[in-house]
Amino acid sequence: MKMTTRIAFDNMKYYKSRNMLIGIAIVLTTMLLFVIPSVGKGMIDIQFAATNRLYPAWHALYRNVDEEIVRQLSVHHDISKYGLRSDAGYMKLEDASVGMLYVDQDGMELYKMELAEGSFPKQKDEIVVSQGILTELGQQGDIGDTVTVPYQIFRGGELDLAQQGEFRICGFLEDNDTNRKTRAYTALISEAFLKSEIPNEEIVYRFLLQIDDTDEPTTDEIEEKVKNIAEQFGVSEDDTNINQDYLMANYVDPVMLPAIVMIMAIIVLAGVITIYSIYYVSMNQRIQEFGRMKAIGAAKRQIRQVVLREGFCVAAFAVPVGLLAGTFVSKAVLSLFVHFMGGEDEYMKTIREVINSGEVSLYYWWAYVLAAAVTLCTIYISLIRPMHVASKISEVEAMRMQGAGKRSRSRRKGYEFITIGRLTRRNLLENKRKSTITILSMAVTGVFLMVVATVLSCANPTESANGTLVGQYEISPVIEENNKEHPERRWTEIQKDNPMDEPLKQQIEALAGVRRVDTFTIVKVTSEVFDEGDYQWINGVSREYAKELEKGITEGQITYEELKSGDKVIVDTAFLHWYPEVGIGDKLNLTVYDGDRAYEKEFEVAAIGDYRSGLTDAGYLIMAKEAADRLCENNSSGYFHVIADKNYDEELKEALSEIVDASGRIDMRIWKTEYETWKSAMTVTSGASYAFLGILAAISVMNLVNTMINSVHVRKKELGMMQAIGMSDSQLLRMLQLEGLFYTLGTLLISVGLGSLAGYPVFLYAKRNRIFNISTYHYPVTTAVTVSVVLLLLQILLAAGIGRSVKKASLIERIRFSE
Amino acid sequence: MKTDSNMILVVEDLVKYYGAGENLVRAVDHTNLEIERGRFTAIVGRSGSGKSTLLHLIGGLDRPDEGKIWIEGKDIFALKDDQLAKFRRKKIGFIFQDFNLIPSLNVWENIVLPLGLDNRKVRKNDVAEVLEKIGLADKIESMPNALSGGQKQRTAIARALVTRPAMILADEPTGNLDSQTELEVISLLKSCVKDFGQTLVMITHDETIAQMADRVIEIADGKAVNC
Repeated sequence: MKMTTRIAFDNMKYYKSRNMLIGIAIVLTTMLLFVIPSVGKGMIDIQFAATNRLYPAWHALYRNVDEEIVRQLSVHHDISKYGLRSDAGYMKLEDASVGMLYVDQDGMELYKMELAEGSFPKQKDEIVVSQGILTELGQQGDIGDTVTVPYQIFRGGELDLAQQGEFRICGFLEDNDTNRKTRAYTALISEAFLKSEIPNEEIVYRFLLQIDDTDEPTTDEIEEKVKNIAEQFGVSEDDTNINQDYLMANYVDPVMLPAIVMIMAIIVLAGVITIYSIYYVSMNQRIQEFGRMKAIGAAKRQIRQVVLREGFCVAAFAVPVGLLAGTFVSKAVLSLFVHFMGGEDEYMKTIREVINSGEVSLYYWWAYVLAAAVTLCTIYISLIRPMHVASKISEVEAMRMQGAGKRSRSRRKGYEFITIGRLTRRNLLENKRKSTITILSMAVTGVFLMVVATVLSCANPTESANGTLVGQYEISPVIEENNKEHPERRWTEIQKDNPMDEPLKQQIEALAGVRRVDTFTIVKVTSEVFDEGDYQWINGVSREYAKELEKGITEGQITYEELKSGDKVIVDTAFLHWYPEVGIGDKLNLTVYDGDRAYEKEFEVAAIGDYRSGLTDAGYLIMAKEAADRLCENNSSGYFHVIADKNYDEELKEALSEIVDASGRIDMRIWKTEYETWKSAMTVTSGASYAFLGILAAISVMNLVNTMINSVHVRKKELGMMQAIGMSDSQLLRMLQLEGLFYTLGTLLISVGLGSLAGYPVFLYAKRNRIFNISTYHYPVTTAVTVSVVLLLLQILLAAGIGRSVKKASLIERIRFSE
Repeated sequence: MKTDSNMILVVEDLVKYYGAGENLVRAVDHTNLEIERGRFTAIVGRSGSGKSTLLHLIGGLDRPDEGKIWIEGKDIFALKDDQLAKFRRKKIGFIFQDFNLIPSLNVWENIVLPLGLDNRKVRKNDVAEVLEKIGLADKIESMPNALSGGQKQRTAIARALVTRPAMILADEPTGNLDSQTELEVISLLKSCVKDFGQTLVMITHDETIAQMADRVIEIADGKAVNC
């Protein structure tokens, strides 16, 4: 073994207690550095695996593509795989919807469709059906049997007259719950059938494609390529559909990496501050040792190496322990996440399936390497300064020192008499820098903890749910502006036959437990000042909310009565997020849509207000309901806010659900569901945040332990001396406790004081950006009290422990002790 | 209980061993001695003879394996640790070879420290008298690192004297001083003890100093061989 390594190894053993503290800090740092990326990646992988199970595998599809374009696209160098689908028509059935599709083999793969049994249709009269389809047809059959199918074919952009045909079943598809619930099924027909029914020039395909991913593109790059190809072949934007869910699940989202890197940087910072501080505090004690080494001929580089290698020797023990701990913790953390994440939907079910099947391994080799490498870098960074200090020590100066540091003052006014408190104060003042570094390094974590706690304490599930809903239930029409499959869901179409009519309102009001129903009007508008393709909503708020509207104004002034004029609006601050140039007094020239009619009208921005999302419902241009009503001739009721007697009433919910299900054209949001969602999200987030902060706090507490142990170790002789001249054990303990108390109170003062001050602007930021739907400031009393109590308790225990360890050595040994 | 009021210190069959087996060191081995009130006693002996251990036991800094020590008629090892500490700060003053001043306190604070630990009021005149006597009146605000070896030891002497203890124990107080300062310090110590009517027990292996004592006790192999 090299001499420097030998010395470093021996030093590690000699300074056991200090190196154990550093070791604990390293274990915790390594563990966090392993757990954060592992759990992060694990969660993503699990979600992605679930997404992969649920969503088709195509990156994008181009609609309405003819055979010539298909031929050209199929040889495009950026496309690695493609499949085709063409909708031949529908079976003619009373209540069910059964599409008759031609999908080629690759298309099937890209759609992740698999036959439960049998083979793909090849002959003109072959068909793949499902048991559900047979039931809807009122027929029975197995592979090889013939079924009679009434159907309508798409010709010339519309469904042709119904006809009937005999088909031989060649395979079966499995039905899922959604198929059965919605009574919507898919039958597969052959290419031969498609071409026999529709003239070649009229056949249009959906071209499903995967972009070549050999150079590991990001989601943004894939989307860019999809758009470029579409442009090259004249496929319009409307005819391009990008499979965002699948891309997100399989390619790196550029936003993800910086988030993980930032969290890891925080851990590294905590590690560096702690390890550096531990070394800094202990350095004085070892100045003589390094001076002696220099005196007998050690070069500066060798001294640096001794310090560095001692750190790495500790790491050699601590890093594997940290990785091992991380391995267990990450598994436990993930199980907890899944346990707390509620939801019984298909997606959550799939997530649980993925975890239970062990399909996603949580243990990534790179996470081990990364955690170990970053920890070693952390140690190296922490040691740069101590290495420098140790190598700079002058031999003579070091030998002369008594290990208690430099004392530049030769005279000082003193106390007339000495008490334990004054004795403590003198010692702390004497070691001002040491005390400051200890307090500051602990306070950094403390401030961070308080800031995060502020945000978490402001995140109240009840308030968040109140923010997202005006009443207990919110009923609105199903609006889909960009769904080509359902043009009837466009707002202008809905307006012409709005399900949100007076009878519906009366029906709801008549339900037991409903206090009243408040109607909000919505009006779709576009403008040249908006981004291309963007549209906004004018939100006609009913009189009941006049006070809330006026109270929410942050700039400008207008009353509810004035908003009735119909040419003035309050702009919600969220609108300014996209259009920051809009200000008070601006005139917005808007195109108002009313059924088939559209007209221009000028609106003045009278005020800017900050409102809960439940009130605006993304309608950021706010005016009085009666004024909004006047803008449209059609029924523009957009929301029924149901104000109920109780926050949650199972019977009322059932009754409303029945109404909603029966209509099929309206949706309902429920306060209780929002509450549950927020509650579960906040439980997971707070749990994870506090666990993370707790470990960070544990790392930084190593500082306190080290400083106190060190302060006693350095003064072993001094303390022994004081005991020799009459200091009792209880006085010694009191002195140690006072010293600890100083560190604790200093840390608490900065953490709680500065943390509380810094917490408020962070709360404002969170509120502005609607993080957790935060609306009201709540001081994190529980966290502040918990942190204070824990730190005080810890310090009392620590002082007692150190006092006991001091007493282990006899007074004589302590008096004789010299560094 | 020993009742001879003239004897401030009685050591009876005192034993203190260190180690075991081949490494057994008989630091104090069935030692008996008595010291009279108000006298200056020098304990001499070779290095490793056990004189320091004896002094530490007398001062209650360590507990013996066997035997008893009475100071002013009190069996000090019958006291619990905290009681012993209180007894020590009232009755015994220590002076060590390497001064052992508290580096963060100035001269005055170092001197009044034992009074503070004993929650006793500082009588400024009494302290000033001690300071005057040891010649440090102009150094009360100095920090220990600004003092010479002699000044440091004088401060330590003042600290030992200030509580007016019955007995002062000095462990080679001049071991770290030059010969000129050595004599000054010893003379000072001797005169102070005399003025304040205290008993001084000093370890030394300096013949000259031993000759200045009223009585010399020689220690060899853990035993008092010449009382």
